[in-house]
Amino acid sequence: MPRERITGRREFLNKAAATSGIVGLTAAAGCLGDDGDDPGDDDDDGGADVDADDELGEQLPEYTFLNNAQSYNPPRHDAVNLIADQFEELGLDMDVEVLEWGTLFNRVDVEYDYDFSLWHTFFTVDPVLELNSTMHSSNTGEGDGNFSGYENPEADDLMDQYLAEPDDETRIELVHDLQRILMDDLPQMPAVDMPYLAVYNNEKVDNWESDLAMGFNSYWTMINLEMLDGEDTLTGYWPEALDTMNPLGHNDENKHSYNFELIYDSVIRVDNEGEFDTDVSLATDFERVDETTMEYTIRDHTFHDGEDLTVEDVAFSYNYIVENEVPLYSVQANFIEEAEVVDDETVRIHMPEDNPLGPFNLLVGTQIPILPEHHWADRDTPSEASVDEPVGSGPLQFDYWDQGAELGLARFDDHFAPVDFEERVWRIIPEASTVWEGLREGDITYETFGRIDRQLDENQDLDQITVLTEPATSFWHCTPNGRIDGLDDPEVRKAAFNAIPRTPITEQILFGVADPGFNVVTEAFGPLHTEDVTTYEEGVDVGIERLRDAGYVYDEDGMVHFPPE
Amino acid sequence: MSKASFVIRRVLQLGVTFWAVGTVLFLLFRLMPGDPTSFVVSSQMTPEARQQIIDSFGLNDPLHVQYIAFLQNALTLDFGQSFHSNEPVRSVIWTYLPNTLVLMLTAFVIAYILGITLGVFTGWYRGTNFEKTTVVTALTARSVPTFYVGLIVLWIFGAGLGVIPMSGTGTSGMEGSWWSRIFTTTFLHHLVAPAAVLAFYYMGYPLLIMRSSMMEVLSQDFIDVCRAKGLSERTIMFKHAARNAMLPILTAAAIALGYAVGGSVLIETVFGWPGIGREMVRAVLRRDFPVAQGTFMVLAATIIILNFVADLLYGYLDPRVTYD
Repeated sequence: MPRERITGRREFLNKAAATSGIVGLTAAAGCLGDDGDDPGDDDDDGGADVDADDELGEQLPEYTFLNNAQSYNPPRHDAVNLIADQFEELGLDMDVEVLEWGTLFNRVDVEYDYDFSLWHTFFTVDPVLELNSTMHSSNTGEGDGNFSGYENPEADDLMDQYLAEPDDETRIELVHDLQRILMDDLPQMPAVDMPYLAVYNNEKVDNWESDLAMGFNSYWTMINLEMLDGEDTLTGYWPEALDTMNPLGHNDENKHSYNFELIYDSVIRVDNEGEFDTDVSLATDFERVDETTMEYTIRDHTFHDGEDLTVEDVAFSYNYIVENEVPLYSVQANFIEEAEVVDDETVRIHMPEDNPLGPFNLLVGTQIPILPEHHWADRDTPSEASVDEPVGSGPLQFDYWDQGAELGLARFDDHFAPVDFEERVWRIIPEASTVWEGLREGDITYETFGRIDRQLDENQDLDQITVLTEPATSFWHCTPNGRIDGLDDPEVRKAAFNAIPRTPITEQILFGVADPGFNVVTEAFGPLHTEDVTTYEEGVDVGIERLRDAGYVYDEDGMVHFPPE
Repeated sequence: MSKASFVIRRVLQLGVTFWAVGTVLFLLFRLMPGDPTSFVVSSQMTPEARQQIIDSFGLNDPLHVQYIAFLQNALTLDFGQSFHSNEPVRSVIWTYLPNTLVLMLTAFVIAYILGITLGVFTGWYRGTNFEKTTVVTALTARSVPTFYVGLIVLWIFGAGLGVIPMSGTGTSGMEGSWWSRIFTTTFLHHLVAPAAVLAFYYMGYPLLIMRSSMMEVLSQDFIDVCRAKGLSERTIMFKHAARNAMLPILTAAAIALGYAVGGSVLIETVFGWPGIGREMVRAVLRRDFPVAQGTFMVLAATIIILNFVADLLYGYLDPRVTYD
């Protein structure tokens, strides 16, 4: 029990006695007749510190925590229920509304019709690109991305500077400052740091190395895998069918990205340390010519159909995506003015004069797929094109697609960074127990989807199964709607963050595979991440104390009220 | 009313039914909460790009404009393009429906052959332990969820004994057309378990109907006449009693078959069978209106048409049925 509140109550009782006010005494009696259910009621002096009614501000409104259905994501569903319980303990009047995922996402991300939400957010190659969408004041309009309603000109300025800054060291300083602000204001609470997970049959394959953006499903991972015991097929799975073979017409879901990343080359690739590696990239060299121009030297290479991959194809890909306003690359297109062929092996990408991008290689160079002009030039609406057999230049080439059942990609022997397996097969298997049976028997080589569930917990100690985890760029965020009374106060948000049982969630619900979150930029980002941010102790009591320190008052039912006017 | 008039009237009713179902489906999906683009867009798309997608779906048009376009397209069996794959819905249906039909029809045929045969025997041997055991089994088959039976079958025969495949319709990289593949032993091997589980579930319905029908027929005078004529028990059972008891089964089968096509979601999920049921659920959850509408229409059409066939069949098989 916070000492200052005890003093406050005594002061109140003294005041009540002095005035002999009936109302005051009645209220005090109610206070002293504490039933022990109130928050912070953990010592002899405990009980909600109830003042006279006229000293209570209005009660904080009822908050609705939107939850996905249990069947959609069991651990997240359980976590939300647990968190809502703890928020009740904190003194918030909570309601949990279970919605089907599409409805939930729409309510939060488009309509902003929610109080609390929680889901798994994936930062791809750079944290600020995502934060700019979800935290920048200019994106608070309906459906623009900033669903928390957070507005802070200082944070805006840091993000703007970061995205325009070509110097790595300066960018690191900027993003560190940004993290400090975000973890002070706490518009979004990083509840759980989700790891990249490699689960595989160690009798079939080995040498799993993750990269920053795609973890153990990355290009870097695949070109470094070592097949064992004569195995020549890497067999994975996905719980639902792929939608399309169009690299410009998908929705950036992992199931698509993980495949197109291997079918198509980009001009530059990163290694597992996040460094640009020209040994495994289409570009053998690159240079920032000036603030708005990147230059790439392109190696001799061919597409899967045997046609030469030329600098014209590279320039075409960039210009084509911009000219056709391909939605999937709309963000990247903002930073591309034009691609220009300089000579037989050199191409330059020009950025807009008024919108240069500092980390161009990372945010654009690693992202744009290089398309064969001879296949794409005649397509008017590329994002709507029906592509049956994609032709790229990556280390894996399309072999077959039995829609709804299986995708087969074969090794492209002429690639400059070849894979060690002959074929990669993805089977569509919705049922987790079937996947685990396959993994145990070696019919499935690796757990592609990265499910964290009881079966992982039960099987991870088997001799033939290896489980690796690496820090990932993704986390479960718990985001309050800052447009709602009470949640617009950082102190309430901080108290709520204190109350989130991060350790029990990671240890009990996620079987110890994940870690409690403490920063919106996870340690996977290496130097971009800083631990020099405000941290928040776990515990409902800590949250209660914080609220009381901020002037919030508890009534006899243990519910939080705004500070008196 | 003549038979021809009856058929014409039923055909007209069919048209009205299709219109009503189509309209309900159209409205239902548009009344659903949630933005269909939320599943199509990437979190990194700009708001302009999101708007561009909404425009491309035609979802910004007034509802009546969308409705008229929907009806016009439906008349030509064109349900548009999937929001997700950009494939024509017809193509999506054509990809998944045959797998479902193979599974359903196989299970259905097995279930009705076994169900009818056992129904005849249980009706004939009424009051025996055989009847009691069979009825309890049939009720159990109808009561236990198919996904549960499916998981147990996978656990015992797949994971334990290794005699059935765990998932899918074939082994990796099977070549050839769909038609050539379904006659391979590999495909049939994959078909055995899901078809058996479904057949076990479906079997109870014809069995119980046949048993009731048999008991009713066996109480009629002509059975005594048959016995008086000295016909063998087997002849009475199959040639006279069973044939007369068959009528309710045939009409019920037509309707049940319609429902069966859409009722395979759980089995398709458990056995990783790439069928239309799974795709339909996925389309609904992802707000892929065109695919959801198209798949629902296919299922509704199956039920409506088989009902129609059942009506006609009834009159054809039982001369006592009039068309008044």
